[in-house]
Amino acid sequence: MTDVLFPVISADDPDSEGTLATWFADDGATVAEGDLLAEVAVDKVDMEIVAAVPGTLAHAVEEGAVVVQGAVIGTIS
Amino acid sequence: MTTVPAQSTRRLNTAKAMVEAIAAEMENDENVFVLGEDVGAYGGIFSSTTGLLDRFGPDRVMDTPISETGFIGAAIGAATEGMRPIVELMFVDFFGVCMDQIYNHMAKIHFESGGNVKVPMVLMTAVGGGYSDGAQHSQCLWGTFAHLPGMKVVVPSNPADAAGLMTAAIRDDNPVVFMFHKGVMGLSWMAKNPRSIGPVPVGEHVVEIGKAATPRPGSDVTVVTLSLSVHHALDVAEELAGEGVDVEVIDLRSIVPLDTEAILESVRRTGHLVIVDEDYQSFGLSGEIAARIAESDPTILKAPITRVAVPDVSIPYARSLEYAALPTPARIKAAILEQVSR
Repeated sequence: MTDVLFPVISADDPDSEGTLATWFADDGATVAEGDLLAEVAVDKVDMEIVAAVPGTLAHAVEEGAVVVQGAVIGTIS
Repeated sequence: MTTVPAQSTRRLNTAKAMVEAIAAEMENDENVFVLGEDVGAYGGIFSSTTGLLDRFGPDRVMDTPISETGFIGAAIGAATEGMRPIVELMFVDFFGVCMDQIYNHMAKIHFESGGNVKVPMVLMTAVGGGYSDGAQHSQCLWGTFAHLPGMKVVVPSNPADAAGLMTAAIRDDNPVVFMFHKGVMGLSWMAKNPRSIGPVPVGEHVVEIGKAATPRPGSDVTVVTLSLSVHHALDVAEELAGEGVDVEVIDLRSIVPLDTEAILESVRRTGHLVIVDEDYQSFGLSGEIAARIAESDPTILKAPITRVAVPDVSIPYARSLEYAALPTPARIKAAILEQVSR
């Protein structure tokens, strides 16, 4: 099982929070390595999250959730 | 020229779908290039060109000065010499400073050359309001461009159509104005309807310019609309299904050419028509649709038509006033209920 992490967008402020803006891959979806999973946002900076490994995606947070950078937002098993 | 069924898809928002379509055509044809304000390093202020500079480099993705007449004119010149530029006018509201290039040159060179010179280019531009950007950054204005001959005008509402219409626009030998509503792009920093994210076919995917879609069939009333208002109309239609009103929603997708037959075919069945248009009400798209029905066969209407458009005022900045002017779901619902009660 591989954790999908919220990326560190603001290194100057490691406690800053961001938003899980969009889940492009549904909970339970089968994903291939490199597939677009989600887009996250800190302030107005967006970042795409892609699958590091193939497998089945499980969401750990809902779309729209506010999470700390580095937090687990899902898993691929 | 239509979508191939059973093609594999992946979920994208409208912005990413546009970028993928542009990138695919840039891979296919070295004559395709992009220019405009903030289309490079910034990736387009509404993310219409994100990542293209990294993929294709500054020779093919060019940031321009704030000089719309200059860079749109440069795109027109490149197109007449055989290239296929995609030029972004950051907000359609800015057309005032560059309209001579657009409607006296881009739109007329083919005509004035007796058909000898083609102008194969895409003028893409952000339209629409709903986020308090004021009267000079919130207009749709598609009726203005559609009124002037010589340009095709496409107005997608969802990711798959945006990708397919962008591909068609790039390959078209005519100038195509590609108008994307900021509210359908699926951006993280704007309010987003889930309809801004959806499946987009992988590989060859073209949506023919000039063909409307019927995202929801129905029998009681026809709602003809386009762009962000399609999302609102579908939301209202789902709500009204529970109240016993069966709403058909037509997404025009293109307004030049306008799929008149799709409108007539639907209204022949329902007899009731609501036109929802985020552009100004008078002298525009909604009046043109009414005129085409009147010219064809006004007896297909069981009741006078209803228009839900922006009343003839500039778009207010104040959120409450802006939403009083826009064609909101509440206004659309009231119009449908009034229409079916007639």
